[in-house]
Amino acid sequence: MIKQNLKELQEKSIYVIREAKIKFPKIAALWSMGKDSTAMLALARKAFLGKVPFPVIHIDNGIDFPETYKFREDLAKKWNLDLIVAKSKIKPEMSGFACCGANKTVELKQVMKEYGFDALIVSIRRDEHGIRAKERYFSPRNEAFKWNYKDQPAELWDDYSSKLDEKGHVRIHPLLDFNEIDIWNFTKKEKVPVNPLYFARDGYRYRSLGCTHCTKPLKSNVKNIDGIIKELEKTTIEERSGREQDKEKAYVMEKLRALGYM
Amino acid sequence: MIVKNITLLGHKDHGKSTLIGNLLIQTKSVTEARINDAKKTSKQFGRQFEPGYILDSFSEERENEMTIDTTRAEMVYRDLAFAFIDVPGHEELIKNMISGASYAEIALLIVSAKEGEGIRDQTKRHVFIARMLGIKKLIVAVNKMDLVGYDKERFFDIEKGLKEFIENVGFKDSKIYFVPISAYNADNLLKKSAKMKWYRGKPLIELLYENAKAEDKKAASAPLRITAQGFIDLEHQTIVGKVVSGKIAAGERVRIMPAGIMVRVKYITVKGKKAKSAMKNDDVALHIDKPVKGDIRGSVIGNARERQKMSNNLRSLIFVTQPFAKSSKIKFNGMDVACKRIKVLKGIDTTTGKAMKVKRVKPLEAIEARVELERKIPVENFDAQRELGRFVVYDNLNFVGIGIVL
Repeated sequence: MIKQNLKELQEKSIYVIREAKIKFPKIAALWSMGKDSTAMLALARKAFLGKVPFPVIHIDNGIDFPETYKFREDLAKKWNLDLIVAKSKIKPEMSGFACCGANKTVELKQVMKEYGFDALIVSIRRDEHGIRAKERYFSPRNEAFKWNYKDQPAELWDDYSSKLDEKGHVRIHPLLDFNEIDIWNFTKKEKVPVNPLYFARDGYRYRSLGCTHCTKPLKSNVKNIDGIIKELEKTTIEERSGREQDKEKAYVMEKLRALGYM
Repeated sequence: MIVKNITLLGHKDHGKSTLIGNLLIQTKSVTEARINDAKKTSKQFGRQFEPGYILDSFSEERENEMTIDTTRAEMVYRDLAFAFIDVPGHEELIKNMISGASYAEIALLIVSAKEGEGIRDQTKRHVFIARMLGIKKLIVAVNKMDLVGYDKERFFDIEKGLKEFIENVGFKDSKIYFVPISAYNADNLLKKSAKMKWYRGKPLIELLYENAKAEDKKAASAPLRITAQGFIDLEHQTIVGKVVSGKIAAGERVRIMPAGIMVRVKYITVKGKKAKSAMKNDDVALHIDKPVKGDIRGSVIGNARERQKMSNNLRSLIFVTQPFAKSSKIKFNGMDVACKRIKVLKGIDTTTGKAMKVKRVKPLEAIEARVELERKIPVENFDAQRELGRFVVYDNLNFVGIGIVL
């Protein structure tokens, strides 16, 4: 996995986050307490001189890991976050595609409407998935949250002029250029707090965090960030291999995303 | 690791995605899972293995064997990383091509040698756009050599047919390399192909490496320019933006244009930390000594002792993607500026580089025009200061073209 220049990556992300906040006063960010969205909050603090200047939303289906909830409470306090917890209900008969589509997306729609948010920062990266690699930094969604991926707006130079659908919103993707290993390098360098689930216990660790139903750990004895970085330098396994929804069938991610998923 | 962005260029079906896909496979830059996924997809459509499926991820892209939107994939070669930007070759997807290519510093043009394919309008148009975007390095890969029996005459014909056009468009500063390849069979990608002994040059990857390593001409000490994104405090004393040229130190006096207001920078923050100075590309927060009224977005900050160039009349080269009204808007350095009118001086055929008469502005052509703006803005020539010499043209919120100031 390629380690990129952290200075350049940060400059781009900080620029994008500032553009987003300045253009969209009613903006919020999704926070899953995973490594990516936590790194994004650290970048937002850099961009806005120590403060995260927008509310952060956790779509809570009640089945996240206990460590994740504790991490949420601790960091929200430490960084003085304006935290919105949107509770969604898990339906036991669903899993994978249906579950993510129904629970997370439906709840997200509700909370966006309730607060009147017109932009949402989402910490996806290109190297996670072929579909996410096709994204723009500013990516419009219509009222039904649909991603019209066949006709994305032009986006060039430092100009992010997403055409706004009046009733829709814009997804902001400040971490698009980061690779998984860059996130860890940044986390290490900037001493960003880490959800303990990423470190091994009893010979297993999580590489990508979803909820307890659909996330499986991988074999690893790595107990610190240096170890994670070393592991990633050699790995040939996909980051999201422990996520059930990606594996189900072809184009699941495309369908989920077109319907409003992250 | 330093990452060099390389955009692919070329007509549809000439093999851009296949080339990147196979380079990633040959250099072991993709996981087995992605390769297996591409194999499975190929099988599902009853096709031979198609490396392009590593990049083309939308169902429509895979079914129709065409790239719809741009994507990026990385590989390492020696001490450099290359990020390949794949772009669609279809005419109607030109806005996606421009979006992808705008991030590149090197262009890799693909031309198919196959009978009936060869040099097409879109091949040349992409070269024209790349030059407009400010890309200065170009390599031409003549693809599908396996389908013409690795015939050297065919290769040299294409080289001859393109060379003059490329130079005319303005790629003069660096040597243009031509390399015969088969993206599918990996001929001349990483190693010299035994099937084309007549080719005396280096394999594609070496040409990319050499080109990436060749230093750009260093600009002489440039004046300070910071593009302002806005204020981040209610008091209007903290300006955020990006240094696009020169250097600034804490304590200096600066002039904010177009307002012409002078302020002193008390201190500077870069990446969230207090800094003594800031240089090109730094994200900055400038803490100034007195509040500034009104909006600052799109303003340009320079040294107080210097007068910045201001203009409301820009002689420009515009590539047109959609027909537009003469009273469109331009998006310049983050701000919307209304045009009084856009006066066409001459048309330029983007497939020959030659001037032509135009009455109406047509898509996929270029115009040299006088853009008359409602107000004066701080502006530079594109060649002198890219960030302050380029704009996007909008007509009712629709992207209709890109322009550079001549």
